[in-house]
Amino acid sequence: MFELTLQALFSGLLAGGYYATVAVGLALVFGTMRVINLAHGELVLLAAYVAYAAETNYGVNPVMAIPVALVIVGSASAIVYALLSRIRQDREINSLILTFGLGIILTNAILSIWKADIHSTSDPWFQDSLVVADTLFAMNAEVASFVGGLVLMAGVWWWLNHSWQGRAVRALSSNRAAATLMGVNPRKIEILSFLIAALLATFAGFAIYTGKTVFPALGHVLTVKAFIITVLAGMGSIPGVLIGAVMIGVIESLTVTYLSASLQELAGMILFLVVLFVSPSGLFGGGRALAR
Amino acid sequence: MTRTLANLVTVSALALSAALGAGTAQAKDFLLGSELPLTGSLARVGQGMHEGISVAVEMANRNYAGRHSFKVQTIDDETSPAKGVAAVEKLAGDGVVAITGGYGSNIIGPASEAAQKAGLVYITSGGVSPELTQRGYPTFFRINNTDGYALAMIGMLQEMGAKKVSIVYLNKDATSSLAKQVNSALTAKGVTVGMHEFDGSTSDFKPLMNKVKLQDRPDVIAMVGYENDYVGILRAAKVLKPQVKAVVGVWSLATAQMAKEFPDLMETVYGTSMLPYPVEFTQPEAVEFAATYKKLFNKDPDYLGQFGYVQTRLLIDAVVRADEAGTLAKGGLPDELRKTDANTLIGRVTFDRNGDNLNFTHRMGQHQGGKVVLVWPKDAANGTMNFPAVPW
Repeated sequence: MFELTLQALFSGLLAGGYYATVAVGLALVFGTMRVINLAHGELVLLAAYVAYAAETNYGVNPVMAIPVALVIVGSASAIVYALLSRIRQDREINSLILTFGLGIILTNAILSIWKADIHSTSDPWFQDSLVVADTLFAMNAEVASFVGGLVLMAGVWWWLNHSWQGRAVRALSSNRAAATLMGVNPRKIEILSFLIAALLATFAGFAIYTGKTVFPALGHVLTVKAFIITVLAGMGSIPGVLIGAVMIGVIESLTVTYLSASLQELAGMILFLVVLFVSPSGLFGGGRALAR
Repeated sequence: MTRTLANLVTVSALALSAALGAGTAQAKDFLLGSELPLTGSLARVGQGMHEGISVAVEMANRNYAGRHSFKVQTIDDETSPAKGVAAVEKLAGDGVVAITGGYGSNIIGPASEAAQKAGLVYITSGGVSPELTQRGYPTFFRINNTDGYALAMIGMLQEMGAKKVSIVYLNKDATSSLAKQVNSALTAKGVTVGMHEFDGSTSDFKPLMNKVKLQDRPDVIAMVGYENDYVGILRAAKVLKPQVKAVVGVWSLATAQMAKEFPDLMETVYGTSMLPYPVEFTQPEAVEFAATYKKLFNKDPDYLGQFGYVQTRLLIDAVVRADEAGTLAKGGLPDELRKTDANTLIGRVTFDRNGDNLNFTHRMGQHQGGKVVLVWPKDAANGTMNFPAVPW
């Protein structure tokens, strides 16, 4: 029983790190623009497919494909921003419709180019097991993605708190009009946020390609999961995303271990509803939560 | 004399034109409908079946050349039951003679109900849930079923002499039915069975596999799900290394695609398979099917294409028979399909009054060195079982 619990907690922690990596880009964009980018999961998926194409066609290790994926996902993200910035009225609701549509276009583009087969890296190192104290088991890919994701999130958090652009992002998130009056260029900061989100999406895509399987319909699933975690965290809170994601990962993992794997999504949703019932603005919510 | 000759020419010309005219009147163009998941989570299997349907239509146009021609109108149901119903209604409105396709029992159920309401035959191989045929719809036909898959898996497990089996299964209609059927049969034979249900959203199977390893301690792990699930389960098993003798699954597992995409993960894993890989065909129809498939899609056929082909070929033959008997326009197609008794690429097919093919039995293949070798039953085997063996 003790071994089962330890493994459940360990698996839940790693799963939480993976969820957080996917969700943090969505939270960042929401924090700066008050826009829920419903194409975020598809951008993650695009990065995963670029890694797949690089590995299959050119024999490149998925790690080496990250810069190429970053350029492609960054360009796609810039296009999403360019289209979003043309919305003049009811930006919050219209942006939902626009990004949902862009997500469908991206999914179908991926389906047309790479077909519907499932894919994952063929590099055996990523699937090799890593055993801690003869009790905790994981794949190398999971641990590498967890550590990489933590480093990236810590970097984003540091950037938000200690760099001029980061402070500008927070200022824009806090009070757009006042930040503009203080000399912050909203367009530059918003596009910067989108590009940082693209970087996070690229890493998440790499993590999924090496540790899970990818297929065209996955993007929507990722977006929904990221959205739930973003709301649970408190819209726009970066540290909240990590804590919320780990909570979801652990509760799902414990549910699989002690109840049934078919109830894990339900358990995650119950946790989500309980948190919102107790704290309607999420774990680290409040109007403008970025970087808290 | 001249007049007689003129009359003869005139009569001959009239007779010839009548004969030609009659011939032209008999040749017909038939429009078939197809409702399939070409996008969404079942896109992979939907596209596989679509390829088989296309091969059947291509071959029918060749075999019935000069007599009849066939076209297929395909609508993507986007892996959504509601869109499956809308697709069937649209196809009915467009005047198709029957529908071939469908994947996923939860989509086929409402879609075939819409076909029943429209008076259209709906033939499929994409949903094995027993409830589909238990409805008793006269227009519903299916060439495979849970029983066929269950018999193959149970037969294989018995041959292995498994005493303890853990069944890890997806909580959908078809997968649950199959898992429960295998559980009942094995339990009745004195085998200890552990049942582990999971949701389609599960991507990390380590907690579940750890339960299997530490609590069940089985001889064999049996998986009932889809490609994604198999990869997740096998990866978790590879990390945790439970002490088992074999890993067995069902559909979408012992395939060329899985052998190519996940060679290390698949080695020694068993799954249902009608075909070995590389494909070996000997029957003339099978050889023609494989050649046509290769020509159209530039790859070897897989089981999805094979099933899609068989169901469509049987449908086309029944359409022609009903047309020739003059009953097609009078709703005679279901009766004509029920008269089917054909040896096909998946074995003998006949339909009972609920439209089920009770002859259906599957075979088991094992991944061996990048190939899929048929290992069960013995009379269909083209190699020997590598047992005990696991991919780690």
